[in-house]
Amino acid sequence: MSLNFYRRVAFGLSPNEKPDKDPLNWAINQLDTIPGLLWPGTIPTEKDLRKKYGEWVYGDREVLRKKFKNDKHAYRKAKDELRIKTGERYFELNEHAIRHFQTKYSKQPVFERFWLFWGNHFAISEKDFLAEFSTGPYQREIIRPNMVKTFEEMVQSVTTSWCMIHHLDNSESFGPNSKKGMEWGETINENHARELLELHTVSPNAGYTQEDVIQLAYIMTGWVHKWDRKNLETGDIWFDQEMHQKGDKVVLGVKYKNDAKRELAKVIHDLATHPICIKFVSTKLCRHFISDEPTDEMINPVIDAWNKSNGSLIEIHKAVITQAYKYNEITHKFHPPEIWLMQLSRMFDLNIPLSFEKMNYTFKIKPNNRQRQLSWILREIGHSPYRAKQPNGWSDLEVDWVSPELLLRRFWFASVELPMLVKSGNRSHGFILSCLKNNFEDHENMASLIDNFRFGTSDYDLGQKYGVICNLPGVLKI
Amino acid sequence: MNCTRRNFLIGGSTTLFLSGYFPKISLASMQKKNLIIISLRGGMDGLTAVPVIGDKRLKKLRKKLILEDVLNLNSDFGLHPKLEIFHKLWQKNQAAFVHATNIPYTGRSHFDGQNLMETGAHIPYKEKTGWLGRGLLASNIIGKGLAISLPMPLLLRGVPQNNNFFPSPDFVETKLIDQIYNEFKGEHNELIKSTLDTIRQRPLSMQIATDSDDRKKLALEAAKQLKDQSGPRVAVFDLDGFDTHAAQGGVDGAHADELEEVNKIVTILHENLGQAFDNTLILTLTEFGRTIKQNGGYGTEHGYGSAILMAGGLLKKSQVYTDWPGLKKKELFEGRDLNSTIDSRAVYNSAMSICFNQDPEFLRKEVFWGDELPDLSQELFKI
Repeated sequence: MSLNFYRRVAFGLSPNEKPDKDPLNWAINQLDTIPGLLWPGTIPTEKDLRKKYGEWVYGDREVLRKKFKNDKHAYRKAKDELRIKTGERYFELNEHAIRHFQTKYSKQPVFERFWLFWGNHFAISEKDFLAEFSTGPYQREIIRPNMVKTFEEMVQSVTTSWCMIHHLDNSESFGPNSKKGMEWGETINENHARELLELHTVSPNAGYTQEDVIQLAYIMTGWVHKWDRKNLETGDIWFDQEMHQKGDKVVLGVKYKNDAKRELAKVIHDLATHPICIKFVSTKLCRHFISDEPTDEMINPVIDAWNKSNGSLIEIHKAVITQAYKYNEITHKFHPPEIWLMQLSRMFDLNIPLSFEKMNYTFKIKPNNRQRQLSWILREIGHSPYRAKQPNGWSDLEVDWVSPELLLRRFWFASVELPMLVKSGNRSHGFILSCLKNNFEDHENMASLIDNFRFGTSDYDLGQKYGVICNLPGVLKI
Repeated sequence: MNCTRRNFLIGGSTTLFLSGYFPKISLASMQKKNLIIISLRGGMDGLTAVPVIGDKRLKKLRKKLILEDVLNLNSDFGLHPKLEIFHKLWQKNQAAFVHATNIPYTGRSHFDGQNLMETGAHIPYKEKTGWLGRGLLASNIIGKGLAISLPMPLLLRGVPQNNNFFPSPDFVETKLIDQIYNEFKGEHNELIKSTLDTIRQRPLSMQIATDSDDRKKLALEAAKQLKDQSGPRVAVFDLDGFDTHAAQGGVDGAHADELEEVNKIVTILHENLGQAFDNTLILTLTEFGRTIKQNGGYGTEHGYGSAILMAGGLLKKSQVYTDWPGLKKKELFEGRDLNSTIDSRAVYNSAMSICFNQDPEFLRKEVFWGDELPDLSQELFKI
């Protein structure tokens, strides 16, 4: 088995890890439990950060906008001060550090790859201030604990999470025949219902109609944040009966009797166990780990595992890894920029993220350049993880990631920025060679490409070396 | 319309041959036509950019957002003083405006609205490609799109091999690119290899690192590329910050700052396209306009009807093209917004038909699912 399996299903091997005698077993054994978060710094709760979110939007919308209505300069200044006070410019940086610390040091890196996968499957795209305050904790507190449960349980948690409800506007969806809908003349907002069908569960392959979307939206009415004057839209999620559409509903031919808040769990059960959903999500998993165009032979064993285990994510993950192992030598998979960066960081023990002491924040001045560094790199290589532009998240297809500038950005990172992230003890040529040997079958060929610079340890020399080896076909692609 | 033949003639090394045998006019019509779209994200306020000075209601509803020193267009409409270049081009019949127009979207979410302004569809997120990408594909114009942004904008998706320009903070050495290039072999590396080909064939000016926050430099480079007969035919710029809920101001407010950015880009394009400006159309795109009435923060809320700012030598004449809906309460959309009486997609469809030498009927079917979009080419553009 080639060493690239450790990058196919994880992030490669760090300098103090050695290849396992049984790589498949090594990978499969990482999926039964949820590894704890290793970041020694602050890990705020979703609820705490939502409170900060509330302070920020209230302070801006209800206070500053009114106070400085005639003076754009004073308004901007006051707004910047509020950003500092509420951590609006900080928490996303801290979340990136938590995330990258995890993928760098986790003893269960294969689990972490699935964590990234599910966070992107149930994507929160860039909207309002979700990236700043909520997407990180959502992935930690909603996605992660569900990864040892069933797919259905995962969908239930995600669908009623504050983050997803806010992201897809379900709080603005009123049953037209509900008490509040009639009083205020309001109606449904279909966004959340449509994405629950299209992106999260059955996909358009299920052939649902606009009427199905509407009916599902009816079922979902009432699942909203609790609004109040001070917290605005950042209150907890609850079920507001007065917004819920009365009467029976029919989705994909199944009738759901008028049953208030219990309707949602029933319809999610049916969607999450629908054969087309199982095929759709299994295909997506195979696409992520095996090939842009997975074949039925690749996907079917995953579907079988899904059916046999009633959607246990542990069993599904194991089946995916088994397939990835089986097809490792005959398929190629391109990795998006963030995973590439995580792999470089682990394989070459780069100095990211910043140490937790230095990530501490005083809420008195804006975050410094060092604190912003990792997030800045992610943005510059085109993959700021909480800022996908659409609710379908980041693409898993090579064709979406290969544009002139996106490739050049990787060349730039490896040849210019990366040398500054090499730890002082790791600047020797021998260190690079040992990392290559640890991770690549054709390490000798790779070494020959950088042999000209074997005596060089300056930033420039390191740039010449890393610039090449990080962008070779076998590194950009497994 | 013989697009294939036209492309063939441009592509071949037949210029000398042609100049001998063809009358001048056919040479002119062979000139490459450029379509430039500037996305104005956040909701551009058409009534700030092109205020209706002929209607006193506007002043009454926007006491704190009054524009002084408005540039004069005609008896009904003025122009925001920061949009100087449009005023200058107006004198030469090279600037025009479509007013009270929007995509057919009446929800007020940026998120949905921006998706729809790019896909051109009716239901948010349903389509995964952009109207411009589909228009290029339908016209068989491949590899001629240039995005001035790092991610490929949704607007351009749907046609392969687009280029983008948004240089990294530092220079990437050519020899590094060459060395990597030589290692890419085999069928499964074709895509990366061909993209590296694009990079290696770039003119020197595109290889130089610049500050990608400096829109001037980006616009300058885009102009250079568009000027080149064999260069891109379509360019997409992205501006945001039009969501001025507070301190929107008049001549000098937050909205004015954004309009100034548009003005800068168009100025640079105009100055640097040279003669190619005569064969260019520049159009703005936004998700919605803003409420007529100012809010408690002297800003405006999300609205409906907005305006399209247009510049370029392919415009028919200077005009404010509109079917003005009026500002009386009952004339407003839902009693609060300027209505939209022109589906802005009709303008974009017509612009594509001009720039891509395509039948607007054909494009309407291929790109906009046969939606009823009248052909406005005669009214707006030189044909």
